[in-house]
Amino acid sequence: MSDIQSKPVISMAGVTKSFGLNQVLKGVSLDVAKGQVVAIIGPSGSGKTTLLRCINFLEEYDGGSIKIEGKEVGYKDAVGERRRRSDRDLAKLRGDAAMVFQQFNLFPHLTATQNVMLGLVKSRGKSKSEARQIAHKWLNRVGLSDKFDAMPSQLSGGQQQRVGIARAVAMEPKVLLLDEITSSLDPELVGEVLAVVKELAVEGRTMILVTHEMDFAKEVADRVVFTDHGHIVVDAPPATVFNEQPNDRLRAFLSRFGSFRH
Amino acid sequence: MTIFLQTLPFLLDGLLTTLLVAGSVVLIAIVLGIPAGCALVFGPFWVKVPLRLYADFVRGVPILVLLYFVYYGLPAVQVNLSSMTAAVVALTAFKTAQIIEITRGAFQSIPTGQTDAAKSIGLGLMDRFLQVLAPQAVRRFLPPFINSLVDTVKGSSLVSLLGIVDLMLSLQQVIGRTHVALPVYLMGALMYFSINFPLSVLSRRLEKRFIY
Repeated sequence: MSDIQSKPVISMAGVTKSFGLNQVLKGVSLDVAKGQVVAIIGPSGSGKTTLLRCINFLEEYDGGSIKIEGKEVGYKDAVGERRRRSDRDLAKLRGDAAMVFQQFNLFPHLTATQNVMLGLVKSRGKSKSEARQIAHKWLNRVGLSDKFDAMPSQLSGGQQQRVGIARAVAMEPKVLLLDEITSSLDPELVGEVLAVVKELAVEGRTMILVTHEMDFAKEVADRVVFTDHGHIVVDAPPATVFNEQPNDRLRAFLSRFGSFRH
Repeated sequence: MTIFLQTLPFLLDGLLTTLLVAGSVVLIAIVLGIPAGCALVFGPFWVKVPLRLYADFVRGVPILVLLYFVYYGLPAVQVNLSSMTAAVVALTAFKTAQIIEITRGAFQSIPTGQTDAAKSIGLGLMDRFLQVLAPQAVRRFLPPFINSLVDTVKGSSLVSLLGIVDLMLSLQQVIGRTHVALPVYLMGALMYFSINFPLSVLSRRLEKRFIY
């Protein structure tokens, strides 16, 4: 699935982020190549979600650099002191790193189709009819062809999250960010959402996913990144991470998931 | 029965004044309060602080004090307002503070995930506001706003204390002349109710309509 030769889509170097006195990211560096699927695992509070949110600047990182195809995400590539990008500038860049959220965050006043259309029309400048076509295509792809005009409140959690995925992927982002997208789903609804993600992985989309689904990470990821206390501790192919468990903290973490006990 | 028929035109005049006061108060308060409420949520620090102080201060003072302050207090600094103007100014000052609060609450009760999601599909500030936040805020705004409309109609009875012949004062004048208290007050209560009840119904209708 991966093409290691090409230039990285995402390039992170020495990223730091603090909330008050609490430094959550302590110098994280990570390159993601086009078409690669990277799973980030780690204990809660280890900075996984913060790292993901920094990539589309929902959190402003303090130090270091995050580039999407060579372009610094949140700041102007100015010499000397860097300056935050304008909101308009940021908005454009954020569409390149669309995110799927743990809590779905669908727009409750819009239908499934309108949820997907909104970014296409307002950010990508597509006409309404074109946006509607694209939205219907993606809702079809995630198995919701009978729910085009449903309001989010009329959908199950799994269906809502599939709309969330359609909304993000319809933007044709350079990287898709998935933030614990099954964590607030009933167990029986997890499968339908992961099936969609797996399909996207197979067709070569660049993805970074924060997950607690170890089996899924093992199956779908090209690389698994284990974070702890704001550092990347292990960055290796899933076979290495789950079979060899080359680190004490990783071993302690994985021992909490029954099937990976060493 | 004849007493009702004789006094009805007079009471209706009072009712009209009540509606006039309440109507202008609400109208001006909307025009001032909604933008100010948005500024309190989205504006820069130096805009928020004075708005915050204003809203907290005015809501913390009894309306009657505001009324007397404007009508009897301001002449000391050469601001002489007619009783009608003073009444509208004082009530509007209060209503504006309330609408600022309702607007702020409407926006701030929207989960931050909505803004996150809007940002992550590339929406700029204006689109986030117009497409995502404002439509959700309207629904949260309406029920407390209509409650506050009802309050305005009822609260406008205070202007009778400045000698404005609204429904309240016209009731008292009728009673003063006829010495028939209970039925006249009952009639007045019904007239207030007949204005406010439809508003309550409207509020419930709107709530239902904006459920999604």
